[in-house]
Amino acid sequence: MTDTVSLYDQFQALHAERNSGREGWLKDIREAAFNTFTELGFPTIKREDWKYTNVLPFLKEEFQVEQLHSVAFPATISDESIAGLDAHIIVLQNGRLTNAPKIKGVKIATINDAVDLGGAEEYLAKSIPVEKHPFAALNTALFEDGIVIEIEKNVQVDKPLHIIHTYNSLEAAFVQPRILVISHKHSHADIIETTKVLSNYTLFSNSVTEVYVKENAQLNHYVLQSEPATSRFVSFRQATQEKDSLYNNYTFTMPGAALVRNNLIAALKGTNVETHMFGLYLASDNQLIDNHTSVEHQQPNCFSNELYKGVLKDTSKAIFSGRIHVFQDAQKTNAFQQNNNLLLSDKATVDSKPQLEIYADDVKCSHGSTAGSFNKESLFYLQSRGIGEATARNMLVAAFAFDVTSKVKIPALRAHIEHLIEHNLTENYD
Amino acid sequence: MSDSNQILEEFKDKEYEFGFVTDIEMDIAPKGLNEDTIRFISAKKGEPEWLLEWRLKGYQSFLKQPEPHWQNFDLPAVDFQDISYYAAPKNQKKYESLDEVDPELLATFEKLGIPLNEQKMLAGVAVDAVFDSVSVATTYKQTLKDQGIIFCSISEAVREHPELVKKYLGSVVPHSDNIYASLNTAVFSDGSFVYIPKGVRCPMELSTYFRINAENTGQFERTLIIADEGSYVSYLEGCTAPRRDENQLHAAVVELVALGDAEIKYSTVQNWYPGDKDGKGGIYNFVTKRGICKGAHSKISWTQVETGSSITWKYPSVILQGDYSSGEFYSVAVTRNKQIADTGTKMFHIGKHTKSRIISKGISAGEGQNSYRGLVQVGAKAEFARNFTQCDSLLIGDRCGAHTFPYIESKNSTATLEHEATTSKIGEDQIFYLNQRGIDTEKAVALIVNGYAKEVLNQLPMEFAVEAQKLLSISLEGSVG
Repeated sequence: MTDTVSLYDQFQALHAERNSGREGWLKDIREAAFNTFTELGFPTIKREDWKYTNVLPFLKEEFQVEQLHSVAFPATISDESIAGLDAHIIVLQNGRLTNAPKIKGVKIATINDAVDLGGAEEYLAKSIPVEKHPFAALNTALFEDGIVIEIEKNVQVDKPLHIIHTYNSLEAAFVQPRILVISHKHSHADIIETTKVLSNYTLFSNSVTEVYVKENAQLNHYVLQSEPATSRFVSFRQATQEKDSLYNNYTFTMPGAALVRNNLIAALKGTNVETHMFGLYLASDNQLIDNHTSVEHQQPNCFSNELYKGVLKDTSKAIFSGRIHVFQDAQKTNAFQQNNNLLLSDKATVDSKPQLEIYADDVKCSHGSTAGSFNKESLFYLQSRGIGEATARNMLVAAFAFDVTSKVKIPALRAHIEHLIEHNLTENYD
Repeated sequence: MSDSNQILEEFKDKEYEFGFVTDIEMDIAPKGLNEDTIRFISAKKGEPEWLLEWRLKGYQSFLKQPEPHWQNFDLPAVDFQDISYYAAPKNQKKYESLDEVDPELLATFEKLGIPLNEQKMLAGVAVDAVFDSVSVATTYKQTLKDQGIIFCSISEAVREHPELVKKYLGSVVPHSDNIYASLNTAVFSDGSFVYIPKGVRCPMELSTYFRINAENTGQFERTLIIADEGSYVSYLEGCTAPRRDENQLHAAVVELVALGDAEIKYSTVQNWYPGDKDGKGGIYNFVTKRGICKGAHSKISWTQVETGSSITWKYPSVILQGDYSSGEFYSVAVTRNKQIADTGTKMFHIGKHTKSRIISKGISAGEGQNSYRGLVQVGAKAEFARNFTQCDSLLIGDRCGAHTFPYIESKNSTATLEHEATTSKIGEDQIFYLNQRGIDTEKAVALIVNGYAKEVLNQLPMEFAVEAQKLLSISLEGSVG
């Protein structure tokens, strides 16, 4: 515990430093969030939503939690772009914005600038229930900077916005990236997030992304996680949707990071809202991949659909927890949720917790969850047609993943993901 | 709509049909829980030293445990010191025939609709009627005795078959399992004991009717059923309770042990006082039920129809230890007014080729809250384990709630687990279809609900299915949302 104690001390110092000389609404929010975090502490397995994920061992290291931006970054990150993908590239170095492309109808700024200009007050840290999420509280209290992306009214962004998170440090680092996305009325945009870790030191990333999708706006949000085993990712994403809006979230987690914990919340605050959540996780080695999602149907006539699929190898462990919460006023809700898990190893573990919490009567809600291995008959069928066992298995896994990958609407990104799946399966296959 | 609303109102306001109190002199322990109370109960029942020690162990772990907080409802504060832990009819001699039984007691059963006399001749059901904690009459004992079947109260079993009780009591639900099980261990009053010898198929359905009677007396039943190798038993449990203003705590423990090739079928119809329409009064039904399939090819099946109690909180579970063993759970839970049900099951797959099947049907009306909470756990050695879970919820009215919280944990790649859940209201098209064929709305709803629950009701033995259907119809007739 001594290590987390030193972490707490660093946070305390950082908090004191951040807040000195600052006044105003953000200070109040940070102050409150810090108090919340101090009260809650890092979550233990005694908390219901952290029951299967013990995060404490991942925090036991001498982390450097401040002033990482003095570290040098290589000049190009071209190798990180996705082949054939035509996108506006936005690079973040240790959470700080370095280049902001000029895009018609899209405002990109650092959070600090946005705060100084007074544009962020309405949105920043306004949607997140920090009292339930200690990590989100910590990020809110101590994030250093971040970016604000605003898609203006009636704008159809021509190309996807590709955010590349790059991290570099000279020792174990604890970073807290922060992103704020606002899709104004009738706008349409695609956002892709990928990550590149340059150093060989342990990286613990505690990120928060707040998304606001206004009336009749559409946003496709792709998150691709495929990092080295030295990294640990705890993320919190919340989409707040107004009426007639559409938000699609795609979360792909590839073998790599020792710990991945995604919290994804969609708050449906208007009528006629549509939400899709697609997830695919491939876990290998000793990985722990934990996806917690929640769809809050607060208003009538909304539709939500969730599909998460996982493939587990080696001694990996995957957790899925999905909640559909239908409020009393949310009549005529249609909500669906599905989680399928494919275990390829006897030492892999999967814990699935789909949940329905429903307080309205005129609804159609369902969820399904499965865990199992290859269908022997399918395997036999392929083998009987002269396909080798390894190839047949790969085909079956690809087919299993197809339900999710086929939902990706950007061809180059889809090809990239399919390539990653294939690559990760053929490699070190038993 | 106005018509159906009226029906709904009537149904909502329906008074509890079995609300009456029988006046029989009671031998009641002073209120409060401490070691002396436990010694008092133990001495009163003339128990051996080991049992008292076990009770005290239970009391110690009761003291150590905080009250749970993970459940999906607000746990009402229960003052454990304000409960009297022992109540027995004073006239405690043993009866050989029904004629000797207190006529008032018999009248109570009569009102409950338990044809004790008739059953003896017609129904073929041996009833161990527990009237506030102490067995009053045990019928059909002789017939069972001839087959070597032991069916008696736990107290009697302690006296006459101490070796069996000592071996199995607390082996499935340990004294420290949870706070209510610990409480039960410390103060359990009485309950049923069943032992089916090797290879014997119990010729009749065994049945116990529990009835809480004395004011302010929580009932702490303890049931232990052991099915030896190759045997079969079907056990029925049914409950009704008189109306009461103060909440009553019921914390029973049921333990089932199935050895190799044995099969136990345990059915419950629970209709305790659910409280009035504001949720005042009513029973807290916090029960720990667990069975273990110890041997290969053994089977345990739980069936429950829950319509009563202000709070029903239980998870009948099966530990599937033996290879090829199987566990089943069939449940219908109805909540209305302010009733709460948080129920489900746990299936622990330990042995190879173990199978489990869970069918849960929740029906919420009025302001009722119905939660399914279930755990399916597959251990690393449970090769080819198989689970199928289906939970459906039916919502009637816009103030009720239905919730599903399954936990699925798999550590084995050869295991196949499936879970699915749906929530919806009764389709207007379904009602319209039946209306169109000349069936009025009230009957249509009854028909749809009965069809909805059929999969579970079919699991009940004949003797119970009738009562269960009657209960469902009382609970849900005409409640069109």
